[in-house]
Amino acid sequence: MEKHELRFESPSFFKRLRGMLSVDFYRLFHTPMYYIFLAIAAMIPALILGTSGMPNPQTGAAAAPLYTNTWHIVAAETPLYVVNHIGEYANMNMVFLFGGIMVSIFIGHDYKSGYVKQLFTTHAKKQDYMISKTLVGAFSMACMCVTYLLGGVGAGLLTGTSMEVHAGSLVIALLSKLVMSLGWASLYTFLNVIFRRYFGISIASCFFFGTGILIIGAAAIVGNSSLLNVFLYGASVYACLSSTPLTLAVCLAVSAGWAAFYTLAGTLILNKSDVY
Amino acid sequence: MNAIEIKNLTKNYGKKQALRGLSMTVPEGAIYGFIGENGSGKSTTEKLICGLLTPGGGSIKLFGRDYTDPDVRAKIGVLIEAPGCYANYSVWNNMMLQAANLGLKHGEKEVARALKTVRMEGAASNKFKNCSLGMKQRIGIAMALLGDPALLILDEPINGLDVDGMRIMREVLVDITRNYHCTVLISSHILGELEKIATHYGIVRGGRMIREMTAAELEADCRTYVALQTGEMRRTKALLACKYTRVEEDEAGYIRVYDAAAPEEIVTHLYENGILVREIKTDKVSLEEYYIDLMKKKGDGQHEI
Repeated sequence: MEKHELRFESPSFFKRLRGMLSVDFYRLFHTPMYYIFLAIAAMIPALILGTSGMPNPQTGAAAAPLYTNTWHIVAAETPLYVVNHIGEYANMNMVFLFGGIMVSIFIGHDYKSGYVKQLFTTHAKKQDYMISKTLVGAFSMACMCVTYLLGGVGAGLLTGTSMEVHAGSLVIALLSKLVMSLGWASLYTFLNVIFRRYFGISIASCFFFGTGILIIGAAAIVGNSSLLNVFLYGASVYACLSSTPLTLAVCLAVSAGWAAFYTLAGTLILNKSDVY
Repeated sequence: MNAIEIKNLTKNYGKKQALRGLSMTVPEGAIYGFIGENGSGKSTTEKLICGLLTPGGGSIKLFGRDYTDPDVRAKIGVLIEAPGCYANYSVWNNMMLQAANLGLKHGEKEVARALKTVRMEGAASNKFKNCSLGMKQRIGIAMALLGDPALLILDEPINGLDVDGMRIMREVLVDITRNYHCTVLISSHILGELEKIATHYGIVRGGRMIREMTAAELEADCRTYVALQTGEMRRTKALLACKYTRVEEDEAGYIRVYDAAAPEEIVTHLYENGILVREIKTDKVSLEEYYIDLMKKKGDGQHEI
């Protein structure tokens, strides 16, 4: 055989990540699931706003609408960790709940199709995988936040619900929610790495953590403590209609902090265990 | 330089020991036939080299570097079991995704070249799920060829293929070694096919390497024998067994005489004893026969290299 001189070129972190991101974004934009979830995100606030004030079909009596202000579909007026009323819970944070299911399906398909073999047998490092999935998950959840907002605003206009709001706080709350997508996506990527061989458990675990039930339970004990803001659900609730620039800073720090933690933990698990 | 150098590799699946100190050397440029029965540790070894599994102990070096080094990993092409592709995407899109994953500058050109090498250029627009098993295996090889790999690891690429599929695959593998100048590690149960292309062999059993050799060494090891048929097979066998150390009857109904000096000597000996030979030929022990023989000898799983 003809002798060829071997040259090893060190692929940079950005080259590796760009490769993996381009695969993941291609997949995201070419899967119907992404568009279905965007539509679901838009329909949820529209359905809540459009149907909550409808008259009872049996009695004909008009029911009290869940929200008297359109923007309550985005966030509560103040950060309320203890849920007394479904209206305090059913806001844009639900995107993170459904986003978890989407991330689970997206990552689970890597294992189901065996494509993960193609990813892990090349120059890609395990951290590249974690970062890429987290970024794509965060992007898709951020997009779901946008369609959720559009659905909510559209329904608010159609139902004639009040639009009165402090614009600055609303913008900060929206930005904070978008920022929180990163932290949530990293949690879901991490859970999917842990339960990578069990698709059903992956989805169930994402749903469980996405409900924020642990923080709601903790809040029932410790009350509306600002300490709960260090958790993903806590910070997501903190992004409310009375947000200040500090809210955005807290959300940024919490989201980035947890994203870094989950990425490192996920990388460690992938490095120490059999990936396929 | 060795393309693969493995020392004392161990791997456990729970309490089950899959590899028990396997050592292996694949020289650069070799087509290394990796042979062993089911559960002997072939796929585990290949998955460890690819980085899909984590070893319990031992070392793996690829081209003199640690196997986890991204530099060296960028030069490996892999087909483990079946190709990892998205069923609803076309062959071309699956290939382009892998090209993107590898960060290839001339992705389209490389994809076209790889598909041509595996005789799949006409099926690029087919959805992956509509491809036959043979086509899927060739797509897997084409994906492994992207990025001009220096080492190609193919796990059972021939298994499950029909006769024509095997022929195409053999031609593809020969083309790859000619045009891509890479070292190939190929595991297979179909030893007859492997024998036609391999330059080196490694035989593994019970998680240990029991024999490594070059094709030339195998050739020397595979003794010639004389196979014959007469009208009195039982008497012939008894008569020859008195004179020669190893006489066996094979599945095709021939009596095989190993270590025989020459066919003429056997014919004369039988003629002198009143037996006429109907058919006589000389042949060599095939890789498959050699392997079965070796497996019988090493029934205790003894380590020998």
